[in-house]
Amino acid sequence: MAESSVSVALEGISHRFGSRSVLVDISLIVCAGQVGVVMGANGSGKSTLLKIAAGLLRPESGKVAFTLESKPVEPMLHRRCIGYVSPDLRLYHELTGVENLEFFGRLRGLRLNNDGLRDILDRVGLLGRGRELVGNYSSGMRQRLKYAYALLGSPPILLLDEPTANLDTEGVAMVERVIAGQRSRSGGGLAIIATNEPREEAWGDMSVRLNGSK
Amino acid sequence: MSRSNTEIDAAARVPSWISEASALLAKDIRAELRTKTAVSAVGVFSFASLLLVALATETLKEVRTVSMLRLPDIVTLTALEAQMRPAWDSPSKMGLLWVLLCFAAFAGLSHSFVHEEETGTVTALRLSMSAGAVYTGKLVFNLIVTLAVAIAITPVYMLITGMRLGSPFVFISVMFSGCLGLAGTATIVAALAAKARGTGALFGAIGLPLLVVFLILLINAANALYTVDAPLLRLTKDVGGLFSFGVLIIALSALTFPFVWEE
Repeated sequence: MAESSVSVALEGISHRFGSRSVLVDISLIVCAGQVGVVMGANGSGKSTLLKIAAGLLRPESGKVAFTLESKPVEPMLHRRCIGYVSPDLRLYHELTGVENLEFFGRLRGLRLNNDGLRDILDRVGLLGRGRELVGNYSSGMRQRLKYAYALLGSPPILLLDEPTANLDTEGVAMVERVIAGQRSRSGGGLAIIATNEPREEAWGDMSVRLNGSK
Repeated sequence: MSRSNTEIDAAARVPSWISEASALLAKDIRAELRTKTAVSAVGVFSFASLLLVALATETLKEVRTVSMLRLPDIVTLTALEAQMRPAWDSPSKMGLLWVLLCFAAFAGLSHSFVHEEETGTVTALRLSMSAGAVYTGKLVFNLIVTLAVAIAITPVYMLITGMRLGSPFVFISVMFSGCLGLAGTATIVAALAAKARGTGALFGAIGLPLLVVFLILLINAANALYTVDAPLLRLTKDVGGLFSFGVLIIALSALTFPFVWEE
């Protein structure tokens, strides 16, 4: 039985904001079981590259290609394949953690029962805190909830921007477990992370270093 | 055996945009019931506006009351209005009612998109939903808010100003068509303002040209509503014109919204 394989290819990506070039001809290919790391100074375009990979931003030139089960995925379906964690991402503060997960789960075609919710909250270390309003969460708890959001439906591609921001030691261990789980995901999984932390660079199988603006 | 591409596509299209839109609508209603942001914005504006209208029209009512005492009972209210205050007849009252409804609704409806943009939740929505589903969910939410505002304000306004009902069916048609046009206009204008990182001022500036057309059509429909024995053709033309404006705005918005929604 042929298990699916997944890959992400960023080919010749260039982007500018106004007159400032942020990314110039950046390429990166990450395959199933691998973790790609995007490094660079502040303002070098790491987050921009991840947004482009997620389909949130259209590059000026270059191409983003996903393959799933060794077949190309239509660009309009890219977002269905990814889990995304980023400082730019916010969940609804006026809803509880569970309500957020139920809402986004429903958008992904999932009907989460109590066991499913318990499981995903347990994975990110929020078990017992899911019924609280997100507005009352600490910044670390919000970061953990973003992981729960990203893992809904077990997407084959994880895009993690500053993956351990606001997390304590236990939270960092949770991220390591998530990345390890993504490598061994049934059907193939991969992750791309954008970071400045040398410790997180060591998680990667390959890396690309951005030079910053010109 | 691995799934075919068709099967992957089919899986990726679940859920449908209707179920996505209904999930967004349910979320917005739940959040609104919890925070009451739109309700309080609309409520404060409505209360202040109705109070102002009540004070401003007090002298008009006094003149009418005195006049009514002098006239025989057989004189109809329509004839009385025409005789005493030609500029303060029921179509004018309907026009003022819609000015109130427009501003009251705009005070609350801008919240739907601007709040998503300001709080950063728009990124999660863009990753999880199609543009069509977002537009549908927000439009239906805004239509519900607009209808609720109209249902709450109109009876009080009628009591204060003495605005007549006219034909109940035509009246309800005018009110529903107006709400549809208002919700359609407010939804796309709010999306534009939010994308431009706009404020309430921008919301009003973009919406003004559309509102002018909308209010002209509304006054036409109100004139038809309050014309005694108005021919069916005129009612159809004027009330239908108002309804068509709503449908047209929604259709054009649905076509242009994906370009507004995506960066």
